[in-house]
Amino acid sequence: MADLVYRQNRITRTTHWINAIALIVLFMSGLQIFNAFPRLHWGNTTEPEEAFLSIAATNDEGDVRGHTELFGYRIDTTGFLGVQNTDLGPAPRAFPSWLTIPGFFWLAGGRRWHFFFAWIFTLNGLLYIIYNVANGHMRKFLLGPKDAALLPAMALYYLRLRKESPQQDEYNPLQKMAYTGVFLILTPLIILSGMAMSPQLNMAFNWLPSMFGGRQSARSVHFILTFLFVGFTFGHVLMALTTGALNNMRSILTGWYKETRPKPEEEPVWLETFTEEMIKKPAKIPVSRQLSAPTALEASPAPEEHPATPQAAQDNGTPSSESANEQSAPEPSGETSPTESKEAKKDVGE
Amino acid sequence: MSENNLDRSRRKLLLGAAQGAGLVLLSGCERMFNGLQQNQAFLSLLESAEGLNRRLLRAVTPRNKLAQEFNQGDISRTFKPNGNPPPITMDYVADAKNNWQTWRLEISGLVKQPGRFSLAELKSLPSRTQITRHDCVEGWSAIAKWKGVPLTEIMQRAQPAPAAQYVVFHCMDTDDNGSSYYESVDLLDANHPQTILAYEMNDRALPVEHGAPLRLRVENQLGYKHAKYIRKIEFVASYEKIARGKGGYWEDQGYEWYAGI
Repeated sequence: MADLVYRQNRITRTTHWINAIALIVLFMSGLQIFNAFPRLHWGNTTEPEEAFLSIAATNDEGDVRGHTELFGYRIDTTGFLGVQNTDLGPAPRAFPSWLTIPGFFWLAGGRRWHFFFAWIFTLNGLLYIIYNVANGHMRKFLLGPKDAALLPAMALYYLRLRKESPQQDEYNPLQKMAYTGVFLILTPLIILSGMAMSPQLNMAFNWLPSMFGGRQSARSVHFILTFLFVGFTFGHVLMALTTGALNNMRSILTGWYKETRPKPEEEPVWLETFTEEMIKKPAKIPVSRQLSAPTALEASPAPEEHPATPQAAQDNGTPSSESANEQSAPEPSGETSPTESKEAKKDVGE
Repeated sequence: MSENNLDRSRRKLLLGAAQGAGLVLLSGCERMFNGLQQNQAFLSLLESAEGLNRRLLRAVTPRNKLAQEFNQGDISRTFKPNGNPPPITMDYVADAKNNWQTWRLEISGLVKQPGRFSLAELKSLPSRTQITRHDCVEGWSAIAKWKGVPLTEIMQRAQPAPAAQYVVFHCMDTDDNGSSYYESVDLLDANHPQTILAYEMNDRALPVEHGAPLRLRVENQLGYKHAKYIRKIEFVASYEKIARGKGGYWEDQGYEWYAGI
């Protein structure tokens, strides 16, 4: 049975997509703003020789090349960073036009987009947080000490070095860490570092740029956090695409999610309930319905019990022949498939 | 095996399709964003954030709270002189040659006492010295020491009329098209103790590339508000009739009038 469950309510879905749009616009307009001064510094000021990151173009007798320099290491990034190949030939430009808003170079325009969508991002985020704190959902994805202890096990599970997932709750420990990091560290810091670049807010709160080590440090932190956000978003999209892309999309667009995993309370299998399920499940397949016809059932009342441990079968005290039961029940596994049960029934019939 | 191959080629196909879709989406986005960028209604919507920012940021700033002031040792070795090249008019060059003795600062507009100040007269007024950080709209910052006469000293002498809302700074520098630089601040910023008309930079006469003989320092806003090469200060009720009506040279080209961000 695939149950459609209503997993994402209207507020979650709306804030999710507004957030997605806001993040894209903030990212691309932010790169437009960065392009006006494509260098990063620490401290308060920008002595030219002290940049730790710079994107620049050089023109060596008509050979226009783009360079990116990080801590003194220089790499040629012509075509992507520093110099963009356009229809009119190579053009000096830190980030290429397809990554910026607006696509042409216009700092004033980039600022307009950025500061408008910063409001959208903040208000939308506030709505989301208030709503989820109020309904208690926030608690479910914040990392607690118990989850922190499970982080290595979860990482091993993802790396396929561990068979069973240590997940206990609705969200697994790594998911919780990612969400907690984004909600409690990344988002507040990216907002604060953005605010720390405002001369007016620097006047109102002298400590604001100081907490980052100066206005230029705040600018660098803002830039670096941006790419952590990009990394999180890529991870998030990758996860959404690899764990049932269509189902996930349906859930975040309409709210309805097809639940395929058994519910936690169904997991422990008790003998009594198990036999019933064994009879019911193959019954949906016409062929196996014939096989589990009354004759088979009467000959041996519960051949389907075989997946249970032999010990459990004995406990149940079934009157079936011991030898047949022992032969057909070598697997203690709780799982079964139609073919397995078919074979088992054949054995019994013989 | 063949199933595996099929799986792999299908995966390749899907990946390719996804990449293609991504590219189409991206270029579609670019076109959409650029289209919206040309849309006046949408631009006005974006610009609506400016008023919100101005009101909020000013509301959280205590009255007469000072911008951070730095120490002598923090002064930058390099201070980029942005903007237009220095004026090359005959008047400016002549004034510079005779050490600004013939230069006058004109005070006009909605004031009870219009008049003219020589540089010597400005220097004889009470002064303020501050080591502050200059933040350019482009993103760079530099620290310098500025000495000048607080704008409030000028206002006390000129006595603006109640109708005066803005202080407009007319400058001597022009761009390639001949448009003169100008800027404006409102009375709130004009009355701030750190808003000064600077005639000294780093203990020396204001250099030509930094706006000699007189430039504005308005420490709660970005660099483009700090008008250089000032020749006239005009008190007005509205700046809509000046140049393209947005309150400043860069404002006329789309930048915010309120440059506190």
